Amino acid sequence: MARRTRTARLALLWHRTGWSLRIGALILLVHLLVAVFGPWLASYDPNEMGSGIPLSGASWAHPFGVDQLSRDIFSRVLNGSHIVIILSLSGTFVGLTVGAAIGLFSAYMGGWVDELIQRTVEAFVSIPFIVLGLLAVYAAGPESAGKPALMVLVIALLYAPRVARMARSAGLDIITHDYVLAARLRGERVWSVIWFELAPNVISTLIVEFAVRTAYAPALVATFGFLGFGIQPPTPEWGSIISENRGIFLLSPVAVLGPGACLASLIVAVNMVTEGVSRLIGQRVEIASR
Amino acid sequence: MIARLILGRCVSALVTLIAISIIVFAMVQMLPGDVASMVLGRFASETAKEALRQQLHLYQPAAWRYLGWLAGLLTGNLGDDLSSQQPIAVIIAPALGNTLVLSGAALAIYLPLTLSVAGVQAFYRYGGIDHGLSTVTMIGASIPEFLMSILFLVMFVVVMPVLPAVSFVDEHTSFIGWLSALALPAVVLAIVMSVYGIRMLRGNLIEILQSDFIQVALLRGLSPGRVLIRHALPNALIPTLNVTALNLGYLIGGVVVVEKVFAFPGFGSLMVDAVSFRDVPLVEATVMIAAAIYVASNLVADLMAIVLNPKLRRTS
Repeated sequence: MARRTRTARLALLWHRTGWSLRIGALILLVHLLVAVFGPWLASYDPNEMGSGIPLSGASWAHPFGVDQLSRDIFSRVLNGSHIVIILSLSGTFVGLTVGAAIGLFSAYMGGWVDELIQRTVEAFVSIPFIVLGLLAVYAAGPESAGKPALMVLVIALLYAPRVARMARSAGLDIITHDYVLAARLRGERVWSVIWFELAPNVISTLIVEFAVRTAYAPALVATFGFLGFGIQPPTPEWGSIISENRGIFLLSPVAVLGPGACLASLIVAVNMVTEGVSRLIGQRVEIASR
Repeated sequence: MIARLILGRCVSALVTLIAISIIVFAMVQMLPGDVASMVLGRFASETAKEALRQQLHLYQPAAWRYLGWLAGLLTGNLGDDLSSQQPIAVIIAPALGNTLVLSGAALAIYLPLTLSVAGVQAFYRYGGIDHGLSTVTMIGASIPEFLMSILFLVMFVVVMPVLPAVSFVDEHTSFIGWLSALALPAVVLAIVMSVYGIRMLRGNLIEILQSDFIQVALLRGLSPGRVLIRHALPNALIPTLNVTALNLGYLIGGVVVVEKVFAFPGFGSLMVDAVSFRDVPLVEATVMIAAAIYVASNLVADLMAIVLNPKLRRTS
């Protein structure tokens, strides 16, 4: 067979994808563009009061309406887009790396270390997401309220145990292989074995896990923002925007539905892309497993 | 030995609960930082902080405090709430009751919804309707609980003003009042649970419908309907129960947000308020109870799987 050019191979790949992957990828692209260029695209400053008649509904000048403090909601949403995406990505990344490290370490060590870590991980996993998040926010103290770093750490704390569990079971499969034994016989240190032998073999599972967890992370960030434990107003984080506008939804439902639709579309898009890509590479994926 | 397996699972759950209690206590009381400042704020007077420290026994060593708290938990004495000085058990009981009623209503809606949709998907598997429903459930699973609650709020309070915007209930609420207060939150909870339950159940049902004994029954000439009801459904009972028990545990987390949105005076609202107002004993008590319910429902799911499925009894 003649050598295919890179574009030809990409074109073939595109043809193999299903509709849901294409739509998801398109929506995700829009979200990423908005996250990068949003602040320039917004017609009004997100904190600018007096940009329109308060509580007015959707109009061409104000697609999502104007809130109680007469700020343009669409501009706020555009400016908040990068917050959600950056927090989700970083939180999931930290959670994944810490969780994978713990899981692989536990699998490799075995014995009572494994048992102890397993028990601790199990305890964390058995606390429901929101409950653990509330506990973490509480434990961080009142001075940390509203800081983005807190959100990143909370998401990492929520995800790390579940990833650790998964990484451990993936690691247990691998440690029986001969190359691990060979590395140990060579005298490699523990972390060297984990990094060079175990990690590369679970990386595909971890990437899929990363994608699945990243999909749900915006929901977590927004939920905490909505409850008032996450990013605080006036920072235009989507969850807190929805919470602020909740009081006026009777008069202007689009003030709540607009940001809500943006949030939902982001999560749906990431889910679609994850499902499509995993089907493409042949891996089974469970959307939003808990 | 099935008894030993069951005992093993129970002991495991107990160990997990103890580990959780250590985590909760550590996160609330043992992190670096002055507990009294965290509760009262940095600018509180020194006398107020001192009074709080005495009340919370903060001068005793941490391990002693932990054991005291644990003993209290086991005997039912959850301590006194900081803001109202009432015994916490008295505060939690009605809230927990309300949440149980809400959960019951949510379950009552969730079961037929999940069974029917998953059944339809399994029956017409891989067809257009299956794909369509899969897309709908995926979109549903992608909507956070608070957003779903608000969507329903908008739909049934703004677009079709049939239901109240706030679901407040107390001892004076009539039965009809309860129904209208429960309607929206229960439906939202049911939908949030079903989108996961349907995905899980669909796989299980398809596996059953593709198994040999169903094929044999169909080849024998039995009608698809009869095969579905008499042969497939009883086997679907086990995964359904399993999925439901797992979802029950999830309910505890989901209920927090839904109750906050609909202002339903339940356990979830209590927990959120406790964290907002930094009410130490209440936070510890509510988080422990929530985790205990989650562990208990997972244990029930595990035990049911062992009891109902003889193949699992041989695993250690």
